[in-house]
Amino acid sequence: MPKAARILLALVVLAAAVLLPRVAGPFWLGLVTQMYVFGLLALSVDLLLGHAGLFSLCHASFFAVSAYTTAILQVRHAVPTALAAPAGILAGTILGLVFGLAVRTRGVYFILITIAFGYVVWGVAHRWSSFTGGDNGVTNVPFPALGTLRVESPTEYYYLVLAVLVLCTIGYRVLVASPFGLTLRGIKASETRMRSLGYHSDLHLYVAFVVSAALASLAGVLYVYYNRFVNPVAASFPISVEVALMAIVGGTGTIVGPFIGSGIILGLRNWVSSFFELYASVMGLVFIVVVLWAPDGVVGLVVRLWVRAVKAGTR
Amino acid sequence: MTTSAILQAINGTSLAALLFLLASGFTLTFGLMRVVNMAHGAYYLLGGYIGLSLAERTGSFAVAIVGGGASIVVLGYLIDRFLIRHTGDNHLAQVLLTVGVAFIIGDVALAIWGGDALKVPVPPFLRGAMELPGGLVYPTYRFVLILFGVFVGAVLWVLYRKTQIGAVVRAGVDDREQVSATGIDVDRLFVLVSAVASFLAGMAGVVGGAFLALYPGAEWEILVVALVVVIVGGLGSLEGAMVGALIVGLLDAYGRWLLPEFSYFVLFGPMAVLLLVRPRGIFGRES
Repeated sequence: MPKAARILLALVVLAAAVLLPRVAGPFWLGLVTQMYVFGLLALSVDLLLGHAGLFSLCHASFFAVSAYTTAILQVRHAVPTALAAPAGILAGTILGLVFGLAVRTRGVYFILITIAFGYVVWGVAHRWSSFTGGDNGVTNVPFPALGTLRVESPTEYYYLVLAVLVLCTIGYRVLVASPFGLTLRGIKASETRMRSLGYHSDLHLYVAFVVSAALASLAGVLYVYYNRFVNPVAASFPISVEVALMAIVGGTGTIVGPFIGSGIILGLRNWVSSFFELYASVMGLVFIVVVLWAPDGVVGLVVRLWVRAVKAGTR
Repeated sequence: MTTSAILQAINGTSLAALLFLLASGFTLTFGLMRVVNMAHGAYYLLGGYIGLSLAERTGSFAVAIVGGGASIVVLGYLIDRFLIRHTGDNHLAQVLLTVGVAFIIGDVALAIWGGDALKVPVPPFLRGAMELPGGLVYPTYRFVLILFGVFVGAVLWVLYRKTQIGAVVRAGVDDREQVSATGIDVDRLFVLVSAVASFLAGMAGVVGGAFLALYPGAEWEILVVALVVVIVGGLGSLEGAMVGALIVGLLDAYGRWLLPEFSYFVLFGPMAVLLLVRPRGIFGRES
């Protein structure tokens, strides 16, 4: 697509997003807000998966640690949003600095180690009940407020999330198009070649991991103010793996992909669980179907079907 | 204090025996077939549940163990043959696919056996406690579990290191193409090793379900601990699974005893140390 068309498309999507609260009821507005939040989390996973070739299954950890930190500061210590939110992001990022050790491994080892790391965080949230509130978690998180500027309704919060989202995607775009982003792609394509060219691949991957953790932490803050509570489910393995699925369903290595995937998975969940009890089975089936028939995501699948249809038409 | 410390050491060793049953299958399937099967935990849980139902019907613990293991062999074969095989060497696809399979198994198990924690009934001669040398009193079942773990470990080790078939499997771990070029049917070897791994996982569910209880979510808890065993020991190494199981089992027991709120955190320690010193695990090799 030419650049002008891209910008035009982005503006149309943005205009639709801005106008959405005028036409959507509270249910749909809530669902779309969730889609933004989890799309952002999926985007953070995709920075590693789509650009650096690392498949992390511990991103629920950064998300949850930041959500817990913000919630605990805001609820128990009455710390204002202006401090509680950055503190949450900082806490998640610091965890990213520690878990970033995982980049000393690649492939299966990386996947397995991140699973185990993620589990440690879930375990602490679940067991350390005197601090985290155990399975009940932290409740009664207020809407965010900045001095006298207060968010007072889900619609206002929707706009706040949208604004953060736009800033993040612009920043993300700049990052992946920068020399740093290109180096990551080079490492994904051929690490040995990048090394022999003199690039310090471990260091690049470590930085990418920490940036990705920071983005996941930001999503965690947006999540806790939307959800108004946080419990160990936020840190659980199913969240990490579902978010990775979102990125894959939408199409990795793109910016819109994770958001499309997030919309599809959350929409599917809401729809299926309204009439079918075995929701987890349906999700399991989605995993299998995606892996076997749509490994390049929805975008890839549409392209493939299109190509096939065109071929059949010309035959 | 010292008595408790010794009791915890025995606790840790018996957990290690259980972890070894699960981790050895995981590590061998990876070693030979390069397949990461995240459904191993679900195999454990389902095997346990099936064993539980069998034990309630027949009253026999032996039937429960064999039946729980055997049913997972069948299930594991079908999943290997019709799903995992289509993922080739793509580990990411394998992980997602087998996580999906595990979700389905867990959900179906929840629909059949419900959400309460259930325990496989232990036969009368294994109930109660026994006196160990030194006047320590310890649950008979968990002590016998250690002996059982050692027995299975010894059998596997002899099979793997001292028999013809073990030599072929080891050769397969080192170089699949070469083995297949010498005329050995590698596919049949895969089926065999995968059957052993499935049987061990299903059996572990029955054996573990008798003292850890079976409940929704137990499949992931046990799987992650088994993953730590494999990471610490080195992926693909039978000896690694033994050593890793001991380290993790003991750490977990002492962690639960000394720092109950951070017992999961204790598992983080060995992994962090390992990542700094030996990223591929104690027995892991550079690939």
